[in-house]
Amino acid sequence: MMKALTKYGNMALSVFVGIGMFLFWYLIYPHALSYQEQYQLFLLTWDYFIERISLPGGLADWLSEFIVQFYYVEWLGALLLALLFVALQRLTARLLPQSLVLLSLLPVIMLWWLMGDINVLLSLPVAIVIALALACIQLSKPLSWTDIIILPIAYWLLGPVILLYVLIRVIQLGWKHLWSAGWLLAVQLMVYAWLLPQWPLQQALTGLNYYRIPLYYPQLSGYDKEMYELIRMDYLVRNERWDDIVKRAGEYQVCTPFWSNCVNLALSQKRLLADRMFDFYQSGEDALIMPRTRDLTSMLPSAEAFWRLGMVNSAQRYMFDTQESILNGRKSGRCTKRIAECMIVNGHYQTAQKQLNLLKKTLFYRSWAEDVEAMMKDENQINTHPVYGRLRQLRYKENFLYSYEEMDKMLGLLLMNNTENKMALDYFLGQLLLKGDIRGFQQYLGLAQQHGGYRQMPLGYQDVMRCIQAQGNVPGSPFAEYAKRHFVPK
Amino acid sequence: MARKSLKLKVYGWMISLSFIIYHLSFSMACSHAPKSLARMGRLPEIYPDYIGVTIPADIAPLNFNVKDDAFDCVEVVAFGSKGGEIRTKGKWADFDIDEWHELTRQNQGGKITFTVRVERDGHWAQYDDFEVFVSNDRLDEWGLTYRRIKPGYEVGGDIGIYQRELSTFDEYAILAETVVPGRCFNCHTANRTNPNRITLQMRGEGGGTMVQKDGKQTWVETKTDSTKAAGSYSYWHPQGDYVAMAVNSVHQSFFTGTGQRIEVYHKFSNVEVLDTRTNELILSPLLQTDDLEIFPAFSHDGKWLYYSTSKPCRVPAEYEKVKCSLCRIAFDTEKGAFGEVVDTLLNGPATDKSYVLARPSYDGRWLMYCVSSRGNFPVCQDDADLWLMDLKTGESRELKEINSLQTESYHNWSDNSRWFIFASKREDGMYTKLYLASIDAKGKVSKPFLLPQRNPRKYYLEMMDAYNVPDFTKTKVELDAHEAYRQVFENKRENVKIR
Repeated sequence: MMKALTKYGNMALSVFVGIGMFLFWYLIYPHALSYQEQYQLFLLTWDYFIERISLPGGLADWLSEFIVQFYYVEWLGALLLALLFVALQRLTARLLPQSLVLLSLLPVIMLWWLMGDINVLLSLPVAIVIALALACIQLSKPLSWTDIIILPIAYWLLGPVILLYVLIRVIQLGWKHLWSAGWLLAVQLMVYAWLLPQWPLQQALTGLNYYRIPLYYPQLSGYDKEMYELIRMDYLVRNERWDDIVKRAGEYQVCTPFWSNCVNLALSQKRLLADRMFDFYQSGEDALIMPRTRDLTSMLPSAEAFWRLGMVNSAQRYMFDTQESILNGRKSGRCTKRIAECMIVNGHYQTAQKQLNLLKKTLFYRSWAEDVEAMMKDENQINTHPVYGRLRQLRYKENFLYSYEEMDKMLGLLLMNNTENKMALDYFLGQLLLKGDIRGFQQYLGLAQQHGGYRQMPLGYQDVMRCIQAQGNVPGSPFAEYAKRHFVPK
Repeated sequence: MARKSLKLKVYGWMISLSFIIYHLSFSMACSHAPKSLARMGRLPEIYPDYIGVTIPADIAPLNFNVKDDAFDCVEVVAFGSKGGEIRTKGKWADFDIDEWHELTRQNQGGKITFTVRVERDGHWAQYDDFEVFVSNDRLDEWGLTYRRIKPGYEVGGDIGIYQRELSTFDEYAILAETVVPGRCFNCHTANRTNPNRITLQMRGEGGGTMVQKDGKQTWVETKTDSTKAAGSYSYWHPQGDYVAMAVNSVHQSFFTGTGQRIEVYHKFSNVEVLDTRTNELILSPLLQTDDLEIFPAFSHDGKWLYYSTSKPCRVPAEYEKVKCSLCRIAFDTEKGAFGEVVDTLLNGPATDKSYVLARPSYDGRWLMYCVSSRGNFPVCQDDADLWLMDLKTGESRELKEINSLQTESYHNWSDNSRWFIFASKREDGMYTKLYLASIDAKGKVSKPFLLPQRNPRKYYLEMMDAYNVPDFTKTKVELDAHEAYRQVFENKRENVKIR
């Protein structure tokens, strides 16, 4: 009776973990999956497999990347993650006495909390699950000497997480088995000395590929609300869910340039920028386009804005630098795809081909890459393509040096280059307002009338004009609020 | 349970069998002897283009791919003018390394003729033969050193300094990003290809200049109160104690057009020499001017220091006005002092050109340098080409034999000055690759050849890095990367003094 209860109790716990995890990742945090997926490019090639397993922890790393590629399809990614957590719970339960089966939830909760740190890679949970599985297999074989062979192999395949296995074995076999911890350390030191000439000792001991930032370690910070809100915004930008961004922006705001960039881009795509820009938080002159920042996320919304504006070279640069800022040296499917597109618009087909060759080795970018590759053979197809052809019309015809400090001029020139570029018009006037160039705004407001296609003066511009006339004394005016924050000396 | 394991076994066997069948079918398709041969009447289009190149006897096999890959099999027979014959058959020409070297050594001073046959649907066709010349001049260096970096913009990313054995395809990391994460490093320089003297510079936090002499690493801070920045773009004096460096601040701007992507410029630049025995900087007022002195290089005998100089401009706005002249100044090795006169060898502003990256040959006969329409960072100038000055006569000529419409730069000499390596963007305008060429006593330069790889098309197509700062290395470089990590993170530096 007790046995049956435990069995069904364990089963119920597994179902609870499985459903809970699936719903969490699929319904609440799908953007977290997208975030992880965009910072790796899993290649389905033998070379890639060899490259991964040529380092300690490589198998766990390869398996984790294999799973993460499925995050591209959110429900599938969530399902695989849920199964991984179920495996973790069941393996823990198997190692615990039957009376303590409820404790099998503890590692699940801890790991779930740890994964709130966006730089924790899935290789860590994968390695933990395999290490536990190994401990379960060894349960039936109490022979301690087998660890002499198992530990070096397991260290190479899973990384230092294998220490978990050692601890379980020590508990199982008693303190006499503590020698295996010493043996593991010796193995790690030998591997460091002879096989890892280009890696620091710290990483040989603590793991090469559990955390995205080398020489740093996971923070038990959980799911930081503001950070995940920004990740959500970027996810919505990536999927061009402009209405959702505007709706979400009305519900919750994060006062950062990144957030402003996302919201402004969404507004521009809905042609609402001129009307509603100052209804939302604006960070300052960087609210439309952010300056170059050396990290793997900040430049993404600006790169997306550049792309849609027709500033193709800048889009390529921001995507390239974003990709190179991934500190564990991985490629990004999202960045590689956009870099290839920029090269195609610029007619650099040979270099675009290089990017496409990479994408062709993936599961989820392959068909896109093959379609584009076929298109590249016919220049006419590119010219008539709804996006690429249009961007060729929008991009700069003149060659000059980009200047972030003169972004308003850059946008003005872009507009003059093609007055059909309504996004450039909105961004140009928006940039003048953000930097407080009221005279410039008044001077060029006529362009909105001439090229904007508006039936009446946009509400945002009306508000600005009222502010100018009343010298800022317009109660409830969004622009007056912005001006007060940014231009009035405190 | 038993049923399950039986099933697994069956699956295992099926997978193994399918692998065997796949490989057998390919090798059988490739094993038919040609019964009848159609003549193509033209040379094969191969990648890399090795047709008519001149190679050193010890170079790795010139494996190549036939560009038109709509065939089942390629067979290549290589036979030497002085005897010997090797053959290979497969998806691409992949020669056995030992057989290749036997053939090339036997044919030193002669030539190797390549017969290429391809099979499509059981029908064989043969291209016209082509030849490769094996030079009498030896290339005695063990290999090459170079930096690999993504051809990006302002973020270096996953960079590394590597070395490659020239007689094989083996590559080894000297210093990789993994051991010093987040750091940018470059300017790795050996003394006349001899790695018993190396310097390299690391930028950013924990940065500094590493000087390794006879295996011992020393990390120094070359910035002083009297100099504006740390040294870079270094070059060893042949005597082995002095290192010339440029002290500058490098920046980038980006174009909006579809041609050249990046303009690299320096806001200031001076030249100095570090005495590595005493960690003293040797300065000259002639090299510490408001002009931008850059890219120093000692002559073969160490009596002269070549460098480039340009007038200061308001960069980036006036980037087109940056025109470098090529100059030299005397250097007294005994006293460790500069001369008092600067000779201008090539006048940039007068000819509306920019002359940069002077590299004198180690036999004192030639001076190779880059010529472009502007700028002092040639690898980013689309029109940068290599030129050669005869140091006996002072006459210069463009090396049309090796130049392309794209960038050529970062050249360096072999120790016997009969071979040189350079970086070129000729294939796609972005991913710099390495080419080798020979030069004879009269200055005749051979057609350059791309650094051989085991499967060149696959390798270069999949290579997402650009190569820069290549140099020959006499022996394999031994650098303790773990020690470099300790030095960078401990950040203890020996400060240099001004002499």
